[in-house]
Amino acid sequence: MPIVKTISYQFVNLYEKKIWATRSVLLILLLVSHLILQAQTSPSAEYQLKAVFLFNFTQFVDWPEDSFASEQAPLVIGILGANPFGPFLEETVSGEKVKGHPVIIHQYNNAGEIKNCHILFINIEEEKKRAAIILFLKGRNILTVSEAPDFSKEGGMIRFFTTENKIKLQINPDASREAGLVISSKLLRLAAIFNPKESN
Amino acid sequence: MLFKDIPIRKKLMRIIFLINGVVLMVTCVTFFIYEFYIFRKTSTEKLATIGKIIAANSTAALAFDNPDDAKEILSALKTEPHIVAAALYDTAGNLFSEYFSGAGMDVLPATSEIKGYRFTRSHLEGFEPVIQETKLLGTLYLKSDLEDMYDRFRLYAFIAGAVILLSFLLAYLLSKILQKSISKPVLDLGATAKIISEQKDYSVRAVRIGNDELGSLTEAFNHMLDQIQAQNLSLSVFTQNLEQKVVEHTAQLESVNKELEAFSYSISHDLRAPLRAIIGFSAILEEDYSSKLDKEARRITSVIKKNAGTMGQLIDDLLAFSRIARNDMIKASVDNDEMVKEIIDNLAMAAQYDHAKINWVIGPLSPVYADMNTIRQVWINLISNAVKYSSKKETPHIEIGSFVKEGQIVFFIKDNGVGFDEKYRNKLFKVFQRLHSADEFEGTGVGLALVEKIVSKHMGKVWAEAVVDTGATFYFSLPAGNVHKKNVIE
Repeated sequence: MPIVKTISYQFVNLYEKKIWATRSVLLILLLVSHLILQAQTSPSAEYQLKAVFLFNFTQFVDWPEDSFASEQAPLVIGILGANPFGPFLEETVSGEKVKGHPVIIHQYNNAGEIKNCHILFINIEEEKKRAAIILFLKGRNILTVSEAPDFSKEGGMIRFFTTENKIKLQINPDASREAGLVISSKLLRLAAIFNPKESN
Repeated sequence: MLFKDIPIRKKLMRIIFLINGVVLMVTCVTFFIYEFYIFRKTSTEKLATIGKIIAANSTAALAFDNPDDAKEILSALKTEPHIVAAALYDTAGNLFSEYFSGAGMDVLPATSEIKGYRFTRSHLEGFEPVIQETKLLGTLYLKSDLEDMYDRFRLYAFIAGAVILLSFLLAYLLSKILQKSISKPVLDLGATAKIISEQKDYSVRAVRIGNDELGSLTEAFNHMLDQIQAQNLSLSVFTQNLEQKVVEHTAQLESVNKELEAFSYSISHDLRAPLRAIIGFSAILEEDYSSKLDKEARRITSVIKKNAGTMGQLIDDLLAFSRIARNDMIKASVDNDEMVKEIIDNLAMAAQYDHAKINWVIGPLSPVYADMNTIRQVWINLISNAVKYSSKKETPHIEIGSFVKEGQIVFFIKDNGVGFDEKYRNKLFKVFQRLHSADEFEGTGVGLALVEKIVSKHMGKVWAEAVVDTGATFYFSLPAGNVHKKNVIE
């Protein structure tokens, strides 16, 4: 745990010091990765759907007002780890607005980069690293989403899983509540609710 | 039957029924039209509300591709049995989830391009967008049958029918009572008028009900009756007065007549005594003193005697005339054949005229029921007149007969004598009126007057026809009474 803390502080410092440089680097990286991904084959139907789901979370989750810098501030969907959606997520959100906030996609390479984010898709297979990131993000208004099987148990909020060839959702309402997020009952109704007592 | 020919009572009731019917029809039709539009509006609104609720609940199912959840949401529609079908489409227009009430599988529209709600012939259907915040996630389709409307209309039809029936019943009962206020005075007036015209009783009055036009009509009718009655009364008073006057005048005339008759009787009677003395003494002069009188004296004496005789005859006739008026008639069956034969025989015996040369033609004569003595006088006067006035003919011809005419027995005596000028026929039967001088034919001028008096006393008539120098026919008629009646004093 102290290691994680140290790392996190390092990230913060780094971000503060090299804010513009990092931005530029990230943008370049994004463009490069984007190009690479576009060159690759298009993502599977599963990820296309998941991309739409990611966007649709914006419709069913309420963020606190102060999570936006202004009324026109963007709603950021971040991806931590590899982007499995290809360009499809970008296409899905392009031109979309949620309550006046334009929706944008942000690719993060490490948790330290995460500053102003609303939905974070965590595509990190390593359990400990994932847990450290969840811990790092604790208390911030970020909806964490992952495909990792133990994600809910680790304190993640929404987990994709597949049953009978259908993509289902598991939601950890305690976690989202701690993050100050309100998930619509309509969404909760669809999802499998994570109960920490059952899993323990 | 034409409307104008039906009784006023039925007319009023028909008018009331017609008005009631028209008002009810207009009310019901208006109500139905209003209800029809209100129902369409409310049922559209109701379906839209349901659509919005379902759409709002379906957002997550569409957003996160969960047809099972959508199915569950749609299946909540089974609490609304009139919704026969429902479906969810995604944004691409592909069918996402469907719902059918009952076993029937309705044909769902392939796409969700149509927006809003509309009525088909038997259904109400429409599309509701499924929106989360501002994001369109899909479309909801709902289809409702109109059984609700038909149910309600059936109920309304039943209520309307009951209301119409009840109001017609009430209208019938009320009109039956209320129409009397108009029809009763009219019918009463008609009945009164009928009684009056049939029984001629102008004392009947129509009863006035109320102060309306019918009341005024009744009043005017009664006023008219008052006037008729008053006029009738004055007419009858006038008639009575007239009758009274006639009776009075008749009585006066009768008494004057009686006085006159009594006077003439007593005069005639009193005149006979001195006349007898004149005749008696002139006879004594003729018989006892004829030797002492010269030829001229004897002629004068005979003239005195002859004139006195004539005067005596005149007085006798006058007495007979007045006796007719004074005396009562004793009616009996009179054998006219016998009577006429006897009179002709008597005349022959008296041999006053050249009787043998008269050519008598006597037909069978009807018997009559009359006073024998006076009827005999009639025959004597008329036959002797005929003999007298035909005596100067070479062959006098006298015909006597009878016939029945207009319920009367008419007798006639026809001669071929001197006749008379018809312009004097009015004078014929008046006392002392003569058409010929005494020098030409003897007579007192009483005979025909006497005949007229006797016949009119028998309720008969006397008249005559004549041509100068050719002859005259005298007629008298007597009522054809029962000749076998017992003798009656009239």
